[in-house]
Amino acid sequence: MTTADGPTRRRDVRREHWTRRRQLERRLHDGAAVRISSLALRLGVLDAPREQIEALQDEVAAALDELRAVAAGIYPPLLHEAGLGPALAERARATGVDVALDVADDRCGPAAEGAAYFALVEVLAAARGPLAVTVRRDGATLVVAVAGADPGLAAVLADEAGPLGGDVAVTAAEIVGRFPCG
Amino acid sequence: MRVALAEDGALFRQGLVMLLEAAGHEVVAVEPGGDELLRALAGRPVDVAVLDIRMPPEPDGGLVTAERLRASHPDTGLLFLSHYAESHYLVRILEIGTERIGYRLKEKVGSVDVLSDTLTRIAEGEIVIEPVLARRLVEKPRTDRANVVAALSERERDVVRLMAEGRSNGAIAGELFVSGKAVEKHIASIFDKFGLHADATESNRRVLAVLTYLRSQQGERS
Repeated sequence: MTTADGPTRRRDVRREHWTRRRQLERRLHDGAAVRISSLALRLGVLDAPREQIEALQDEVAAALDELRAVAAGIYPPLLHEAGLGPALAERARATGVDVALDVADDRCGPAAEGAAYFALVEVLAAARGPLAVTVRRDGATLVVAVAGADPGLAAVLADEAGPLGGDVAVTAAEIVGRFPCG
Repeated sequence: MRVALAEDGALFRQGLVMLLEAAGHEVVAVEPGGDELLRALAGRPVDVAVLDIRMPPEPDGGLVTAERLRASHPDTGLLFLSHYAESHYLVRILEIGTERIGYRLKEKVGSVDVLSDTLTRIAEGEIVIEPVLARRLVEKPRTDRANVVAALSERERDVVRLMAEGRSNGAIAGELFVSGKAVEKHIASIFDKFGLHADATESNRRVLAVLTYLRSQQGERS
């Protein structure tokens, strides 16, 4: 039945999308990043004037900074390794947004975590005042509640949660997004 | 110095061995993962073990390996080299140990001098933290959890940042162009504002101050 297959297929495609993003980040780390950072060490044993070596090493470090920024936009390694809590804390610290984070340790798979993370990154970027973000796992669903945000930002959560088969509800107090795990 | 290393990237491993040997260190073991390193070091301790954080056993084999190594060889220094400088890992590293331990970016130890200085400081018992990480943590305090740091004066903030980089009082005095006595006064005031009282040893309070400070930047960990 096409009507039943539609959402299921869309969900599978979306899950695959997040898995692929995580794999791409891993490839950047294991491939280009290793190659470039090993260059920094190889430069260090070259028989050349110190200033020249240091200038080249600075270039290498700048290339790695750019690579890290790209990787963070694809799938932050901390999200994969440590989960939403540490990844969001790092993001909030880096951007200086005033947000109280209360994130449970439970893991929920790369798709739900990736979707929730990138939706919240947009919410944090749009913050005009203090936010409170709570993340809990409810059975096989990741439940993300945002208080203090513009209700219009519900669309951002819906864009990420919808294709995975989740949904978003808006109340006077908060936006609540539900992201199916797996 | 006797050094062992575990790193899953073959190219980086080779580069590091080259640099360690150029610096005159004896590289006792070179392994692609944590479990192999533990086996290699079972009977022959080293001064410092250099560990990649993100290596087998996945996902963060360096940390798991370090915990085991610290339990079996408490005198072995631990240097974590990573592609990422994250406060999350810094806190986990300081939970493993607050002496003879370091965390640096892979591309920042690319000279014989820097690498040797890092290893020596660790072997002598210091904490060595990638300066960019320590600096980033003070420059952008999280407004909602910054209260404990907000209570510090600007000068005290400089001092605790340098403490977080693992500097000694003498080095902090040199860096800030103040007397050793002035540094001691600032540190006493930091201890006081962080609520660290004299029942702990000096070095313990120092580490607790650094941890308090880093945690205040990071938010709560459940």
